[in-house]
Amino acid sequence: MSAPPNRPVFAGLTSAYPRSEELVRATRDLDRGRAGAGAVETLYAASEKEVAALEERLFTTITGGYLRWNDLFRPIAESWTGFSVGPLTRWLETNTFFRQPVLAQPPVRVPGTVAARLPPVLGQRPEKARVLLPGPYTLARVLDNRTGESDGAVVARLGALYAEELAELRALGFGTFQFTDPYLVREPPDGVLETATLDAYRTIDAARGSSTTIVWTYGADPTPALRTLDRLPASVIGIDLTEVEAASLPAGPEGVGLGLGIIDPRTTLPENPVETVKVVREAVRRRRPSSVWLGPAASLDLLPTKPAEQKLLRLADILQALRREGVA
Amino acid sequence: MTDALFPTQEIGSLAKPSLEELRAWQEKVPFVDRLGPSGPDLLRGDAPEALPDLRAAFAIAFLESAGLDRVYDGEARRIEMYEHPIRQMAGFQFLGHVRSWDSKYYRKATVVEPVRLVRPYHLDEFDFVRDHARRGVKLPITGPYTLADWSFNEYYLARQPGWRGRPQRWAAQREFVVDLARQALRPTLKALVDRGCRTIQIDEPAAGTHPDEAALVVEGFNEATAGIDAEFSMHICYSRYEALLPALLEAKACRQWAWEFANRDSGDHDPYAVLRTLREYGDTRSIGLGVVDVHRDPVERPEQVADRIRRAASYLGDPTRIWTNPDCGLRTRRLDVAYDKLRAVVAGSRLARAEFASSRR
Repeated sequence: MSAPPNRPVFAGLTSAYPRSEELVRATRDLDRGRAGAGAVETLYAASEKEVAALEERLFTTITGGYLRWNDLFRPIAESWTGFSVGPLTRWLETNTFFRQPVLAQPPVRVPGTVAARLPPVLGQRPEKARVLLPGPYTLARVLDNRTGESDGAVVARLGALYAEELAELRALGFGTFQFTDPYLVREPPDGVLETATLDAYRTIDAARGSSTTIVWTYGADPTPALRTLDRLPASVIGIDLTEVEAASLPAGPEGVGLGLGIIDPRTTLPENPVETVKVVREAVRRRRPSSVWLGPAASLDLLPTKPAEQKLLRLADILQALRREGVA
Repeated sequence: MTDALFPTQEIGSLAKPSLEELRAWQEKVPFVDRLGPSGPDLLRGDAPEALPDLRAAFAIAFLESAGLDRVYDGEARRIEMYEHPIRQMAGFQFLGHVRSWDSKYYRKATVVEPVRLVRPYHLDEFDFVRDHARRGVKLPITGPYTLADWSFNEYYLARQPGWRGRPQRWAAQREFVVDLARQALRPTLKALVDRGCRTIQIDEPAAGTHPDEAALVVEGFNEATAGIDAEFSMHICYSRYEALLPALLEAKACRQWAWEFANRDSGDHDPYAVLRTLREYGDTRSIGLGVVDVHRDPVERPEQVADRIRRAASYLGDPTRIWTNPDCGLRTRRLDVAYDKLRAVVAGSRLARAEFASSRR
């Protein structure tokens, strides 16, 4: 198999962007009853526009920073039937937490609720928007399953619901969907759960149409999980390049894009563009993907705004270098 | 230390009351007498410099009045558990706020030079607690692994050549943790022990974030406590403890695991079952058992607390090794809720104590 001659390279935010110091103050004040929701809403809207404008200038997709989201799961856990919001639980990254979703009965999607929670700025440019959703495997792994059904059955149900969700969002003009699924590499599924995960993504894929689906993983060496990742039907499979030796990566599946988390928000140290380009090229040479999607490995909101912006600019530099000089 | 079963202890910070709130609390939990003859005047006055002492005296009285056997000052003088110790060191720069959850943030620093201790910390606050407490004292201090994990590692990582992948990050983090342990924690712990501090809780809440780094948590703990004679415990919260075992068991000077459980206790899931694993490893250290959830307002009933203790004792196979406490610091709760939760810890422990005593008769 020969590598595609004109392999396109894209880049974009893959998760929440940090709230500005002004938003930090405002949300704290709201929390303590010292500010009204209206003022904070105005600030959110202005901040989302700023982030989206920066993304528009630098990248392929826009997110608006998902500044209002308290965690990745809340938009589902607070709106779909069967879910409630449970205890504060440590997330995979430094000093961050989420509210564990509790599933008391088989979940039922409530139409319109996910769309309503997307940053409003995305509604103005749905064709460029990257819609974030918690991957079905990760959601099933983190939730407190009280349904009496197996986790595999829950994953399958989530796959079906996400297929419906995609159909609804596609009708609104959205065309890029990222399933953030870090548990696929943190605790790779096997047996029944692996089958259920593959089935869930097949169900989602059947609803994909002409849209782009990205499965984004991070936070662990993806190598042990490639057995599963390489069989996931999706447009792009993302891995955390800061967690893996690029030279050890095997060839990837034909016709699938490669997502590479190359910006590490766990340090303020800026990435070295020369080294990064070299490692990206090595990964691409090994995996031979149809396209390359670059982004921050983990959530950029692990950083304060200033270093986050510096890292975004560095990501844009690396994107430009790869486009200019060729990815592989 | 008490000989009775299920002694009770504090575990972390409390909300910081305003002067007005302190005046209101004085009615319910009298505390100004602990500050000597000038205490009432300090409470009546508006001198901002009096507030730290008032808050500390109040927190000690608050915890003792709730009935705890081991107390501290609710960390009344600390900004919080990360920023306060980092500000006693050189080599760091604070950059801005990052989100912990929802609208809760902390100010995060980056290490830009080798870690150096400017001055041992928590000494004055310990002196105050020692002089004003009427029960046993346990001092909480943030551990080196957590200080490193909650910081940005710039200096040590920049020393790694080439692409900074996992092996380079690990090596840099190890250097950082060990430097913090040797250069900052150890001299501080030594100074505290020299002042009479005998019971010290090393807080390592970050331990659960990267279970594959449990050995690093232990290395930091062992480096920090090396050669220091005190009763050390390790507090870890919101973690899958199974994933940290057996690596954690190599923490040599640790005499107690103080862990959170109640937060995850539900009809379908029994978080206390992990204690069975400790038993299987033959670990005989005591447990600081989290029996009330610190992130929700509803106050646990004493019977609920006693049930949690009962389950823990059955998994552990030895009730004499159990201390009871809240899951974590109660800082995010209103003081009236925190007080009721602490009372529930004490009442539930008493209930369980009576049950165990009668079953032995």
